[in-house]
Amino acid sequence: MTVEQRGFGVGASLRRKEDARFLHGRGRFVGDITRPGMLEVAFLRSPIAHARLLGVTKPQGAEKRVFTLADLPGIGTIRANSALPGFRVSEQPALAKDRLRHVGEAIAACVAGSRAAAEDLAAACVLDYEALPAVHDMLQAPLPDQPLIHDHWTMNAFLETRRNDDVSGLDAVAAAKVTRTLRTSRQCMAPLEGRGVLAEWDPRLEQMIVTTSTQMPHVTKTGLADCLGLDEGQVRIVSPDVGGGFGYKGILLPEEIVCASLAIRLGRPVRWLEDRFEHLSASANCREHHYVITAWADKAGKLLGVECEATVDAGAYSSYPFGACLEAAQVGSILPGPYVLPLLRCHTISACTNKPPILPYRGVARTGVCYAMETTLDALARKLDITAEAIRLANLVPPDAMPYRNLVGKVFDSGDYPEALRRAVAAFDLDAIRARQAAGEAVGFGLATFCEQGAHGTSVYHAWGIPFVPGFEQAQARLSPDGVLELRVGVHSHGQGMETTLAQVANEILGVHPDKVRVVHGDTALTPYSTGTWGSRAMVMAGGAVAEACRQLAGRVAAIGAALMQVSVAEVEVADGKVRRRDSDVFVTIADVARTWYRAPQNLPPGVDKGGLEITAGYRPDPDTGTHSYACHAAVARVDVRTGAVVLEDYVIVEDGGKLVNPMIVDGQVMGGLAQGIGTALYEEMPYDRDGQPLAATLADYLLPGTTDVPDVRLEHMETLSPWTTFGQKGIGESGAIGPPGAIVNAINDALARLGAEVFDLPASPSRVLAAIHAAKGGVR
Amino acid sequence: MSRIAVSLTVNGEAARVEVEPREHLADLLRGTLLLTGTHIGCEHGVCGACTVEIDGVPARSCITHAGSCDGATVRTIEGFDDDEVMAALREAFSQEHALQCGYCTPGMLVTARDIVLRLPDADEARVREELAGNLCRCTGYRGIVRAVLHVLAARR
Ligand code: FES
Ligand code: FES
Repeated sequence: MTVEQRGFGVGASLRRKEDARFLHGRGRFVGDITRPGMLEVAFLRSPIAHARLLGVTKPQGAEKRVFTLADLPGIGTIRANSALPGFRVSEQPALAKDRLRHVGEAIAACVAGSRAAAEDLAAACVLDYEALPAVHDMLQAPLPDQPLIHDHWTMNAFLETRRNDDVSGLDAVAAAKVTRTLRTSRQCMAPLEGRGVLAEWDPRLEQMIVTTSTQMPHVTKTGLADCLGLDEGQVRIVSPDVGGGFGYKGILLPEEIVCASLAIRLGRPVRWLEDRFEHLSASANCREHHYVITAWADKAGKLLGVECEATVDAGAYSSYPFGACLEAAQVGSILPGPYVLPLLRCHTISACTNKPPILPYRGVARTGVCYAMETTLDALARKLDITAEAIRLANLVPPDAMPYRNLVGKVFDSGDYPEALRRAVAAFDLDAIRARQAAGEAVGFGLATFCEQGAHGTSVYHAWGIPFVPGFEQAQARLSPDGVLELRVGVHSHGQGMETTLAQVANEILGVHPDKVRVVHGDTALTPYSTGTWGSRAMVMAGGAVAEACRQLAGRVAAIGAALMQVSVAEVEVADGKVRRRDSDVFVTIADVARTWYRAPQNLPPGVDKGGLEITAGYRPDPDTGTHSYACHAAVARVDVRTGAVVLEDYVIVEDGGKLVNPMIVDGQVMGGLAQGIGTALYEEMPYDRDGQPLAATLADYLLPGTTDVPDVRLEHMETLSPWTTFGQKGIGESGAIGPPGAIVNAINDALARLGAEVFDLPASPSRVLAAIHAAKGGVR
Repeated sequence: MSRIAVSLTVNGEAARVEVEPREHLADLLRGTLLLTGTHIGCEHGVCGACTVEIDGVPARSCITHAGSCDGATVRTIEGFDDDEVMAALREAFSQEHALQCGYCTPGMLVTARDIVLRLPDADEARVREELAGNLCRCTGYRGIVRAVLHVLAARR
């Protein structure tokens, strides 16, 4: 560890303020909250991937407790458009109208006093539909012979993008060329807490109060108001403790719209809690990519160009607010990775299929892209007979080129990418691994290097033209009469520990002890507008905004404190929770200042700032093209060539997230991301059959990594400050989930190299590894 | 629907309740008894979020019929306030950053406490194996494993 503990401010591995309530079972999640007279909802969901919906026969006597779209007139459809040329926008009804487009799509809401009774109602409904052929294969989907999922479209694709660099001359000059066809599986994000919604109408305020498990309460508010035809003052979103999100809780839900509408109609609080079966069968909604990628390199391994045909299975609808094309369209911009790449030819398709709509999962497209690029680089290295380290060193952006603008216009802010690689490699005894290989052991070493753009803002997102382009982030800092500092932010923690880290930021500026700092978040009525917690942006954006608000507050505190000590402002400083004379030990505390403002205003100096001790300040880095954290992941994998089982023997991450506000929490983010990345690499897969039916209905089928699957990683940090952020901090929340598939499969392929076998598709499950070995034995590919 | 009368002791207090035959213990605890510290992550016995102690042994309350708990003694995360081992685990969990969203935490703690009491000599591999029935989607387990090992070591 390179970080010293210092006090309670930025850089301290402070224990989390929020821990106590969770450790005592006092966390408050949506499912823990009830209201008098509350009704529970179970959804009747589509059992079929594609069909014309002809009707729903409600159970006799319960007609008034089952609601189809026709019973909820006036609620709007979800539309997430994009300004990218050629984007086809979908209309996602809150409840299916006349078409069913994926298994699990909600058709009717069944309402009862208990969830069990509501499920009974759903089970008693009779569904009438006419099945249509399911579009289940993203490669077939856009072809002209496929049935159209949205009738007015001309093909089953939300968007195609192209970059057309001329790579036709590379065959003639390259020392090596490789082509790989690669696939990542469809995944479920599977936070341990599912989604949940509790909607209630407050007749006094004429306000819809929706308590919902979301990462972005304000965006949900705007989207919900729009779909309900309410003004935004009539919607308040409360997001209590959120049991993990990872992107899954970053959208507007059809279920939120339906519950809110029901609460108005019925005059009763209405709650829906997603169960695991719903999650797995109706929300397998991330990661499914397909690549045909070709790379050319010279003798030293230097990349001459890359050509890529990428398809992403975007599912049936464009989700609000990020839309259906974020993932595929990002492929083209992320492919160069941390490397100097002279030429890129890339065609991407966001295919529309009869599967749940795609959502951005931790790492978004980076995990798949990193997998494609890193395994392709290793294939090149094998062909050139150079090491995996050498080919990366030949291509990584060197530190003296920073800040570096790459060929697609991404600007890397700072860092020493080759150093991260060198440190990771130095952490292993490679000779020992080579000796084991020579002795016939199927053990291998694999690397993945990548960078993660985080906290990118207006200048990046306006080009996407999504419904929410992030702008300035605001934070409110206010002192209460007893000197407690309240921070109000519109981002929302779902495990990141922001109640602690933002208190550390305030401590850094004002010196107020973190115990005396209260972070208020997760309530649109109490916090400034924000696009929320996503895109590894919270610590850069909310951290910057809190710092700015505290700085301005320090100015006001200093003015009052100086007056109380009868000296000029220039003679005092604010530190350690005090206003102190620079030339002596005389001070007044911030609490004294607060007491004076609120309770003894007769002692305030003339001309005092009438704004008092409450500041709303805004922040946006300049430039706002995003921070780039980066990392090298290195894995040692052992393969059992008889069973195909893979064991991770060792794993090293060298990571640079700039200034680490709380190193302990950063480690936790990296570790958690790593576990998810291991899931992507080795275990997690939601297979669909030819009828578009999801085949993993329980957590015994959909395998999440457990304690024995995640090794005790060695984690090392570099701390190259970002020149563009308040403390030099960089967004790092997604990083851990990006590198593992590349590093692990490279290690597997290294282990299998002597057999001439290579794994192409994720997850590298025992059956896929065995298939690769058999294919090599049979001389196939 | 017919209901079953059940008398049980929960966190030291007697409770007499009527449950539906299909009701599971986690719903009884969370719903009727307002003990929401026990969490539900899958309702099919895989994730371990709902782990409570039944008659002194960790068990999954989501696959335990409430109706079968007549006479049982149940302890949930809310019922360990006087427990020394739990206090040490809570301290260690915080110290080792063994929780992020906190959703898996109550179930983890109940399982962890059982490991500490039952297997005082457990090493890391054994602790990992014993914890394998509790899923955490946030932490990558390192902090959790370290916290349990820490408490085990401190008791030796
Ligand atoms: S909720 Fe009981 S094991 Fe998952
Ligand atoms: S801390 Fe979130 S599931 Fe474990």
